[in-house]
Amino acid sequence: MKKMVDHLKVAKKKITSLDFDAHWYRRVFHAFGASFLIYYLVPSNIAWIRILKFWIPVIIVILVFVLEFLRIKGKIDSGHFFGLRMYEKNRVGSYLFFGLAILLLLIFFPQQIALPCILCACFADPIIGELRLRFGKKKGYVVGFFVCMFFFIVAWYKADLWVVFLVSIIGATGAVVGEMRNFWWIDDDFMIQILPAVLILLLWFAIKIIGVDILPDQIIYPVELMW
Amino acid sequence: MIKIISNNNISYLKAKSNKIKVLKTEIIFTPLLLAFPVIVALLLINDWYCRGFSMGISAFDGELMIAFIILVGNIVFDIPFVRSLIKFRKK
Repeated sequence: MKKMVDHLKVAKKKITSLDFDAHWYRRVFHAFGASFLIYYLVPSNIAWIRILKFWIPVIIVILVFVLEFLRIKGKIDSGHFFGLRMYEKNRVGSYLFFGLAILLLLIFFPQQIALPCILCACFADPIIGELRLRFGKKKGYVVGFFVCMFFFIVAWYKADLWVVFLVSIIGATGAVVGEMRNFWWIDDDFMIQILPAVLILLLWFAIKIIGVDILPDQIIYPVELMW
Repeated sequence: MIKIISNNNISYLKAKSNKIKVLKTEIIFTPLLLAFPVIVALLLINDWYCRGFSMGISAFDGELMIAFIILVGNIVFDIPFVRSLIKFRKK
């Protein structure tokens, strides 16, 4: 027991003496967002799981919203929030935009549209950010465009070739434009996901009018529990 | 004492020493940030293998691709993150 307490003390000492890199923390946080794709694996054939599947992400975003509200109102000190940027001190933190966009995509958009947009925010956004820092804006956006294209190609690989080409070009353009445009009231973490999703949704509806459904089969299938 | 540092020209909010407890909570989240995406990727690979590959159904191949994207994407960012942690712990 004494040994365990000593061990815990050493661990505590190590943690408190830690310097922590907020830059890479934010990158890892972005990549972590891809974990939310587990949503599509969760069974939908059982009523109570279906209810939880809807409400758990909603409750998480509501909690984050309340937390951000209290922070901006000054009830909670901004210093409590790790990795916040200076410009986020008096503005809604980008992680709320990031979570809100993922929630909207998961609930309101078909998986084929939502999935590549979420991947763009999780991986293309930090890749663009890193490349922009090291090699300049232009190279960052060009590489980012092809990374986004890759995600759309993977998500739409079951569709016809012309559809894959069209959707990947439009989706990647939307994602990169969403990342490039900076507004003080809305974050690029929101735009990189929602802009390509809305563009592809409009494209899907527009082509549907002439009687062609371009939406391919989904990529991730929910697990079916036999209870 | 915990310091928030930046290795580029982007400035982050600095934490005061009395916020250490809260920052420690953030650090405690680190294993979750690193492990959960790997678990999700492994679940997708398992699902592809059980319902797709072993049954000869190619419709599940997309799950394998997504799993690899999640796995590789996370490892790419986890490595410099963990390296930075180790580097600063040694200081």
